[in-house]
Amino acid sequence: MYKYDHIDQTLVDQRVAQFRDQVERRLNGTLAEEEFRPLRLQNGLYHQRHAYMLRVAIPYGLLSAKQLRTLAFIADKYDRGYGHFTTRQNIQYNWVELEQTPDILAELAKVEMHAIQTSGNCIRNITSDAFAGVAGDEYIDPRPICELLRQWSTLHPEFAHLPRKFKFAINGAKEDRTVLLCHDVGIELKKNPEGELTADIYAGGGMGRTPILGSLIKQDVPWQVLPSYLTALLRVYNRFGRRDNLYKARIKILVKALGPEEFARQVEGEWAQLHNASKNSKDNFTQAEWDRVAKHFTKPSYKSLTAVDNEQLAARFTADLDANEKIAFTRWLERNVKPHQVPGYASVILSLKPHGTAAPGDATSAQMNAIADLSDQFSFGELRVTHEQNLVLADVEQAELLNLWRAAKQQNLVLPNIGLLTDIIACPGGDFCSLANAKSLPIAKAIQERFDDLDYLHDLGGITLNISGCINSCGHHHVGNIGVLGVDKDGEEWYQITLGGEQGNDASIGKVIGPSFYANEIPDVMTSLINTYIEQRTGDEPFIDTYRRLGVTPFKEAAYKNALNKNDAKHSKGATA
Amino acid sequence: MNKQIISFPKDGKPTLIANEWQVWDGERDEGGIPDLEHGFHKVLVPFHWWITHHKNTDVINRASKGEIGVWFAADDDILKHADIIEAGKALWPVVGAHFPIFRDGRSFSTAALLRDRFDWQGEVRAIGDVLIDQLLQGARVGFDAFELRPDQKLDVAPKQFDLFSVVTQNSWRDQRATIATA
Ligand code: HEM
Ligand code: SF4
Repeated sequence: MYKYDHIDQTLVDQRVAQFRDQVERRLNGTLAEEEFRPLRLQNGLYHQRHAYMLRVAIPYGLLSAKQLRTLAFIADKYDRGYGHFTTRQNIQYNWVELEQTPDILAELAKVEMHAIQTSGNCIRNITSDAFAGVAGDEYIDPRPICELLRQWSTLHPEFAHLPRKFKFAINGAKEDRTVLLCHDVGIELKKNPEGELTADIYAGGGMGRTPILGSLIKQDVPWQVLPSYLTALLRVYNRFGRRDNLYKARIKILVKALGPEEFARQVEGEWAQLHNASKNSKDNFTQAEWDRVAKHFTKPSYKSLTAVDNEQLAARFTADLDANEKIAFTRWLERNVKPHQVPGYASVILSLKPHGTAAPGDATSAQMNAIADLSDQFSFGELRVTHEQNLVLADVEQAELLNLWRAAKQQNLVLPNIGLLTDIIACPGGDFCSLANAKSLPIAKAIQERFDDLDYLHDLGGITLNISGCINSCGHHHVGNIGVLGVDKDGEEWYQITLGGEQGNDASIGKVIGPSFYANEIPDVMTSLINTYIEQRTGDEPFIDTYRRLGVTPFKEAAYKNALNKNDAKHSKGATA
Repeated sequence: MNKQIISFPKDGKPTLIANEWQVWDGERDEGGIPDLEHGFHKVLVPFHWWITHHKNTDVINRASKGEIGVWFAADDDILKHADIIEAGKALWPVVGAHFPIFRDGRSFSTAALLRDRFDWQGEVRAIGDVLIDQLLQGARVGFDAFELRPDQKLDVAPKQFDLFSVVTQNSWRDQRATIATA
């Protein structure tokens, strides 16, 4: 795992001092709120419905046990004993005091963490694959590039006030687990025939009001020149991105307006200048910088073991398990344990989606401390945060899986629902967020309660369900196989359903099925959608394939038929989306 | 307008100096550049105004005395007028880049382009809604003079430049710190 050198450490320490001064000026009235706002946002500090909210970066999702313990400590000392892991590899605290934020940042700085650029109209925390460095299907470990670009983007002076926020994702595996195409810039790492590391650049993806998947604008950029290429790209966006309309300010609108070819041409023009001028200059990443960073991402001291498959494993542990446990453990192996590059090891996903009891992605300080201990005991003291709002112990010996399962079970972290209907992505919604049109968390809870039969969930197979409390789409509802979006109609909370969204290599944007529903209808609507799938699927066909084969009609008919039977009266009013 | 500006030459220290340049908005242009507030002979004219008026005799006269510079609006596409800017290099002692509101960062790119694309060696001055919390970024992309918004505290401004002793990307003023140079 990356370790700060004195440059990184100096930077975050000085950043704490800078922010402390800004907070002081705000508190003594010499800095107006309007002017403080973008400054605090660039330090992840929002003002929310009930309190300030602080968003802390977990660059490319990597955490040490020590860092997690600090996050738990902060939750206890400065918040209400829990934190919320988000889809973009950050953690949010919902109840912080403005006066205390500099102290929180100082605590973070002690463990090489910060909240720099986790919000605001600048380059945000860079996200990547939670399984980077261990995934069976990885062809390039993206972390050195992530780290080099983290440094390059940190407090970048030219791009501190972009038209809108700017999000990078970086992938180096066959299966895209980064939602690459939903980012302002997606960087797909490759090796060229000479074995050199290059990048394909996708631009102009994003969710929100106008969901758009990114377009390929440049192939085979050598890794060394990424700073100048990305400078060119951001410069074009900074100069020509729309600033007159908040909803049209993202790069996706610029790329769409110009067309990806024209956008690519303009970037190329700018890059030709920068790159020519700096051919021999110091803009390029050097091998020395690569080496300095990459040495932190070498493999831990794995034992030399032989690989065992899940069936063999289950069989091996059977003797130690009673009948109930056997089923639970086997399911967990199936859903929560992922293949590893190194024989005899596995990666384990700890589910932060207990059925109906906590918000998706929430962890208490007790859980965080326990998870830190688990990572020390079973996974070299490191862990990862996933886009789906779960945590991962990436390097677990297969022989230790049962021990880990038993220990994690104590903390309610072993629900075998990874990738299943109840592994819901949800934003904080109306319970916390001042932008929300509707609540998301009670909807997630109601769905989890309706579908809490694990046999049934397993039988349904992989289905993604994503919920956002408003069109900003923090819950990524557009790319859920089933998406739920909170909408406001005449001051009432309604929910719109989208179907057919998908993240990953076959990314697609879901389609709205029709008029929206009341909150209390949503569990029934889900049941109708799922029943339709079960009736129509052939063999092991996953939900998304059945949907793609049949289209929206049968799902739509079922959803409205059953809902209308129950709720005729309500639907007669306000039945349009 | 401000009596003082912050001057921060690339190889110097930030200091407060007297402001010699008045920023003119280009309005009331029937009679050419209007009389300026007492004592100010030097004026920054809008770049678009320069484009249409720079062949007028009185403009040529004033410019030859070193009394005219231009300022770029945030939405001026300076690359479209590269020839005029190239010619201007010999004429303007100072150019400005305007911040219509502090959180509009286009002029950061304008300054960067002036420095790396046009190799502009003279002063580039930040004007408009310039707040002390923008100084550091401005200094790094290519600005070497700042006319702060009048309500800003001039005394705390210069210390903004000392907040960071390390940077992690190259810019006009500094090279990123790497372990080799650390
Ligand atoms: C309560 C605090 C939050 C606020 C005020 C907030 C605000 C916003 C806003 C305004 C947008 C829309 C940006 C646009 O129009 O382009 C947005 C998008 C987004 N937010 Fe949040 N958000 C919050 C919490 C979260 C959480 C908890 C997550 C993760 C679970 C998250 C992840 C995202 C993502 C992934 C997007 C979509 C970005 C895209 O369009 O590509 N946010 N958020
Ligand atoms: S989607 Fe809307 S309600 Fe949910 S967190 Fe984002 S801004 Fe808030």
